[in-house]
Amino acid sequence: MAAVATQHDHAHVATHDESHAHDHAHHSVSFIRKYIFSTDHKTIAKQFLTTSMFFLLVGGAFALFIRWQLAYPGEPIPLVGKWLPDTLVSNGAVQPGFYTQLVTMHATVMIFFVIIPMATGAFANFCIPLMIGTDDMAMPTINMISFWLVPVAGLTIMSGFFVEGGTAAAGWTNYPPLSASGTGHMLWVIGVFLVGFSSILGGMNYLATTLNKRAKGMRMFDMPLTVWALFITSVLQVLGTPVLASAMSLLFVDQVFHAGIFIPENLLTPNGGLYPSGANVGAGGGGQPVLWQHLFWFYSHPAVYIMILPVMGVVSDVLATFARKAIFGYKAMVFAIMAIAFLGFVVWGHHMFLSGMSPLLGTTFMLSTIVIAVPSSIKIFNWLGTIWKGNIHFTSANLNALGFISTFVCGGLSGVFMAVGPIDVYIHDTYFIVAHIHYVLFGGALFGIFAGVYYWYPKMFGKMYNETLGKFHFFLTFITFNLCFFPMHMIGVGGHMRRIYDPYVYEFLKPFQPINQFITIFAIAMGFSQLILIFNLLWSLKFGRKAPRNPWRANTLEWAAPSHPGHGNFDRDITVYRGPYEFASPESKRDYLPQWIRPAHVEQETTIAEKH
Amino acid sequence: MFDFSWNMLTYFPPGISTYSEAHDDLFRLVYWLSVAIFLLVQITLVTFIFRYRNRPGHKSIYYHGNNVVEFVWTLAPTVLFAGLGLYSDEMWKVMKYSSRIPTPDMEIDVVGQAFNWHVRYPGADGILGKRHARYRSAQNLFGIDPTDAHGKDDIVMTGEFNLPINKNVVVHLSSVDVLHSYFLPNFRIKQDAVPGSWIEVWHNGTKSGKYELACAELCGSGHYAMRAVLNMQSDADFAKWMDGKITAKKAVLAAEAANPQPVAPPPAEAAAPEGEHHGSSH
Repeated sequence: MAAVATQHDHAHVATHDESHAHDHAHHSVSFIRKYIFSTDHKTIAKQFLTTSMFFLLVGGAFALFIRWQLAYPGEPIPLVGKWLPDTLVSNGAVQPGFYTQLVTMHATVMIFFVIIPMATGAFANFCIPLMIGTDDMAMPTINMISFWLVPVAGLTIMSGFFVEGGTAAAGWTNYPPLSASGTGHMLWVIGVFLVGFSSILGGMNYLATTLNKRAKGMRMFDMPLTVWALFITSVLQVLGTPVLASAMSLLFVDQVFHAGIFIPENLLTPNGGLYPSGANVGAGGGGQPVLWQHLFWFYSHPAVYIMILPVMGVVSDVLATFARKAIFGYKAMVFAIMAIAFLGFVVWGHHMFLSGMSPLLGTTFMLSTIVIAVPSSIKIFNWLGTIWKGNIHFTSANLNALGFISTFVCGGLSGVFMAVGPIDVYIHDTYFIVAHIHYVLFGGALFGIFAGVYYWYPKMFGKMYNETLGKFHFFLTFITFNLCFFPMHMIGVGGHMRRIYDPYVYEFLKPFQPINQFITIFAIAMGFSQLILIFNLLWSLKFGRKAPRNPWRANTLEWAAPSHPGHGNFDRDITVYRGPYEFASPESKRDYLPQWIRPAHVEQETTIAEKH
Repeated sequence: MFDFSWNMLTYFPPGISTYSEAHDDLFRLVYWLSVAIFLLVQITLVTFIFRYRNRPGHKSIYYHGNNVVEFVWTLAPTVLFAGLGLYSDEMWKVMKYSSRIPTPDMEIDVVGQAFNWHVRYPGADGILGKRHARYRSAQNLFGIDPTDAHGKDDIVMTGEFNLPINKNVVVHLSSVDVLHSYFLPNFRIKQDAVPGSWIEVWHNGTKSGKYELACAELCGSGHYAMRAVLNMQSDADFAKWMDGKITAKKAVLAAEAANPQPVAPPPAEAAAPEGEHHGSSH
């Protein structure tokens, strides 16, 4: 223990020296090293952020094509329809094959290239070193590789649009046998394998950094909840993603060598022949398509928590800061995150209630899944406890955090419906599921991400964003979001299947066309509302007011660094004296008390800090 | 503008199976429970936002939490949700456990093929012939064993099929190519059709009429049109319909017996010699 402490101190001194060294070496760093192949965690965070923002627009455009087709099937897509090639559209209207590609790519892009890179890539990179008071990640080069795998993977998957047969079209879950042939599916498998590696490398780095590089005096239970959430998310990434990688490798073997791992004996191809498969040789042989589902969901259910847990951490920090009040039940929050992460590994079967697995397993997974509602409820109650008797400031960041709570409650409750096996039998693969996933991943994760982007924007870019535009963006998004996604529950209860090109082939779905049109109108409005966010972020970069060090009067360590911080982050030694949520503490005359202020010099040091 | 209700429960298609009512009751229970929790949380949230908003002279308190409160709001959802899980398990057992499948009045095979549903009835002898994947070809989707006499008179239908009301029907479900999902919205039943496995589903429809069978698992670009129609008929009507099918099948078998060559070889047969070869080599 003593040895560790010494090493820690030593590292700390070295950090300090290095930051000076960097100041001198600043001019010699080439443009490419500084902005492209950078190893600085803040640059990498910005790279993740901008890449994800780009993919957000791509994935959003795909969603609008889908919505257009469901509302006005067979009618040309406005504006862009006539520019798309004949392989995808006919007379400007979406073709059935293109539709299945769209649903696949919308989800693939949003999950693997928007939410995961933003929630972990951007926030973990930016927040962890700054919030634990250190100069950079434990492994900066690996960190750089972790980012650069994302655009490579993205291009690999997108290149599917330009190969014969088109891009992947088996849904983001990519169930074989449908996904076991075609160049587009191979590219998809390679792309997801690569982006998975980005996740593994990132996760390792976040774990190593959090465990080894915390500032002097910072115990694990002095870490802000954002860091706690990212830390536990990293455990999920490191344990879960290799399983996804193995599933991808096995499917690749099936696609290229027709090994028959997921392909049963004697399957027919559309032209009436037999599907080439190793399973055809020898009587009674055969692969098992359900094996893929087990492997895929063993990763992809924890992946849902990879997407939501970091954001829960961010929301906790934003709420505490703008309610000027300590987190209610800090340790309970940490244990709830741990419980969600642990339970996340034992519930994957609830995606497979209909897969034909043993119904006894169904009972087990039903009970484990429904129990996840408990730590989720604890988090909701503690957030409400946090704003209770607070002094709530309605900044754009906080509005998005409050919006997160409101929508997450709805997404959590719709999750209870599908956890109950007999009900899931009916609503499985309907729009009820689509509504649920969007309440959790858009209403939940994305509102939380917006909250985090607004909250740390001043630290990230050294400028204040425009509050009026920020609020305008929030209210527009919140209203259009609910009007777009809430009615999906209704048509889901009506039995409306997901991923269908033309619902009106079915008599029982014909009455739902007006609701689909209603949804589409608000989907379009919601999509275009995001331009306000992008405009705000870009405009403020140039014309925003210069940000002070601690614009929100927050307590955590990132606000001790200059805005924005140079290479090496801190221009002073950082020692931690208290927990991250000492708002309205009797120790200080002000309503906040940062972690780095020395106990004996509270008034004096806080005053100096405010002048910076 | 159109018929719209905020009450989700009004959107269910009419339920006509023996367990559709129990299903809808369970759904209703979870729904009202959720609505109550939803309103409780949202109202609390809005109240707090309003009461504790920042305004001149207003201050927050210094408070880190309370273990008794944490304990209560951990225990309450645990009891509530675990109770709900245990309660729902009974219905899950009824729908899914093989030991709980009632004595079948009738058994049929259903296979999905992109983008059609095929149904096999036992025919005149009332027994489904043996089947195995090794016999499967484009001409023999069910892989009926050619050496089993029970299989000769089996009746195969595509895209439309009939069932009698008030009978426990056990469906043996599979697929010949990719995953499909057998979804009868009015029966509140859905089950994936997994190639390589035969999965048992049972249902008992109580009302005659035409109902839609949908595919609920993405199976390719034609997935959206993988629709079949199920005619639910009274016992007498079904028996009459089945007799007609049996007579027609007998006529076909008699014609084949008189003339060993197939009456009219389907054009696809020549295109798939490989499939036949595989089938016979096992």
